[in-house]
Amino acid sequence: MDLGLLLSIVIGNIFISNFILFKFLGLCPFIGVSRKTGPALSMGAAVIFVMTLSSIITWCIYNFLLLPFNMEFLRTISFILVIASFVQLAEMIILKTNPTLYRVLGVYLPLITTNCAILGVTVLNIDMFFKEGKALSFSFFYAVLQGFCAGLGFLLAMLLMSGIRERLDILDVPDSLKGIPLAFIVASLMSLAFMGFSGFKF
Amino acid sequence: MNNKLIVSTSPHIYTRESSAKIMWMVTLSLVPAGIAGVYIFGLSSLWVILTGIISAVLTEAAIQKLRGAAVTLYDGSALLTGLLLAYCLPPAVPLWVVACGSVFAIAIGKQAFGGLGQNIFNPALAGRAFLLAAWPTYMTTWTNPRGALDAITSATPLDNAFVGVTYWDLFIGRRSGCIGEVCIIALLAGALFLLMSGYISWHIPFSFIATAGIFTWAFGADTLFSGQWLFHILSGGLILGAFFMATDYVTSPLTNKGKLIFGFGCGLFTGIIRLWGGYPEGVCYAILLMNAACPLIDRYTRPRRFGTK
Amino acid sequence: MKKLFQEFTKGIHRENPIFALALGLCPTLAISTSVKTGLGMGLAATFVLIGSNVIISAIRNGIPHKIRIPCFIVIIATFVTIVELVMQAYFPPLSKQLGIFVPLIVVNCIIMCRAEGFAAKNPPTRSLFDALGMGAGFTLGLVLISAIREAIGSGRLFGYILFKGYQPALTLALAPGALLVLGLLLGLSNLIFKRK
Repeated sequence: MDLGLLLSIVIGNIFISNFILFKFLGLCPFIGVSRKTGPALSMGAAVIFVMTLSSIITWCIYNFLLLPFNMEFLRTISFILVIASFVQLAEMIILKTNPTLYRVLGVYLPLITTNCAILGVTVLNIDMFFKEGKALSFSFFYAVLQGFCAGLGFLLAMLLMSGIRERLDILDVPDSLKGIPLAFIVASLMSLAFMGFSGFKF
Repeated sequence: MNNKLIVSTSPHIYTRESSAKIMWMVTLSLVPAGIAGVYIFGLSSLWVILTGIISAVLTEAAIQKLRGAAVTLYDGSALLTGLLLAYCLPPAVPLWVVACGSVFAIAIGKQAFGGLGQNIFNPALAGRAFLLAAWPTYMTTWTNPRGALDAITSATPLDNAFVGVTYWDLFIGRRSGCIGEVCIIALLAGALFLLMSGYISWHIPFSFIATAGIFTWAFGADTLFSGQWLFHILSGGLILGAFFMATDYVTSPLTNKGKLIFGFGCGLFTGIIRLWGGYPEGVCYAILLMNAACPLIDRYTRPRRFGTK
Repeated sequence: MKKLFQEFTKGIHRENPIFALALGLCPTLAISTSVKTGLGMGLAATFVLIGSNVIISAIRNGIPHKIRIPCFIVIIATFVTIVELVMQAYFPPLSKQLGIFVPLIVVNCIIMCRAEGFAAKNPPTRSLFDALGMGAGFTLGLVLISAIREAIGSGRLFGYILFKGYQPALTLALAPGALLVLGLLLGLSNLIFKRK
């Protein structure tokens, strides 16, 4: 196992190429659910959960189903369907088994289906950890780690953003910038700050 | 005052006149470092400082006019932003770059949020980060200090750790670097004045510098606990950032506990970026990152939350 | 006919997906570094939009209400796969530049939103014009943003150098610039159209 690659997956997905601030994936929930810290936290937790499990499932599908039968072109369709149905299933299971968790995550799970960060991370996993139709060694582990860390990065950006927006709500900002426009300007400055992490070497 | 509930800025009990007074006092305390910078790097740095100030003030006035708000130049905040921005620029930077930075700092960093007391990020640092991303070559071209015998031609002062630079050189500012950050003794004089007169508290500078020092001491060399911590404290923009930028009332936490956490985060990120990051200097980014976390820190260090875990 | 024309123009102006509805922002930001990629993305999304809108509206009465979303996804994903393969075959450089944002058209909110909000309730011709308008609005928005970013961030337009001696502000070509330009444009459109 390559320690450098491992570290670069962790640091890379959380800070350097944060899914929201640098890859621009998952902007809709980032803007939509970041008004208050509580929901933002739950959304982030739900995203970590779904991202990790989606990475596991899609990796298996790609490696054991699509690759052996030469059906790589079905990647997009199969992934989105699997993610959608998995989210539905997860929602039902959580509702039955853990009502408290359902109250925290429940409302956000359906929203996640159309979160491009989820499909994005699964597609990236395939792009990064498969070479010429073959899985790299430990590629399953990398994929799961990437799913989890991308979710963590998402949570971090959500949390910071929600804190800032709670404060912005009580400020007298220019009318035309109120709400979404200013949220993007804040995101832009955050992304400037995160640029400090670029070019990490270990 | 308007009837909105304003909960962010820390000088609650001051009126507008007092917040203007704070701005002017901070500006005053920065003057020695500026004089030292001009002495060390020559007259070109004076033009950088003046351009920074003038374009910041003009931008502020223009935007306030456009918005139909009262023009509040006398509060000195735009001037201070321009001054701080100029202090963390290299002396030889083209003047139009300085002007662009000032415009960005005031327009995006401050006025987009509604003006004084409302910005989330330190405007001067936002301006600097913008410039560093926009024109990296100008932002990393350094001038040799006056009296340097052999030319120090490194990309950045932090890169060539100890080539002919002693601690004393660092202390009096005989090194290349940004205009306002080099002369530590002048900065400390200003900082002492601010601390003594109570305009800033010790919490943020202390935890910032201590954390950065301990971190670079622990991880700064190949073996643990043998890094050159004093070098890291005296070099770069650490002193300028810790005393004059991280302590900005608007963008730092309200409570003392929050301030300690804020300073700790600044020091930690500074150390991480300096030792392992792609950029040689991390102070600017560290403070910006902690600015982003500041509302959260405030939220979780509210006094009523003590004891609840 | 006038009505159909209205379906077309609303997507460009009053209900512009980017500036009025704030939909489809992820690709808008990610691939707007140059006008070329912006245009390519806009056209690809428009194609998918037209295809999915027309098909969904044609079979809208045959889709059971409960499983409509998965059905929509399958239809949309089919068109996306077509675009993906065509692009790989005929425009390999563009396909490389757009990267994962081609498969991600599937989860582009604009397409789902028009499928659910318009095509599922309206006849095919009107859906076609709706798709054309929305696609045009999306493409125009993309081209606008990418033109600003390319002009300021790299001093070029369609790859041609604009002014000799201009020193591009690289920030605009990077991630912070994308967010900044979008934020300011959204604010500007609020200011102009007095939307609230």
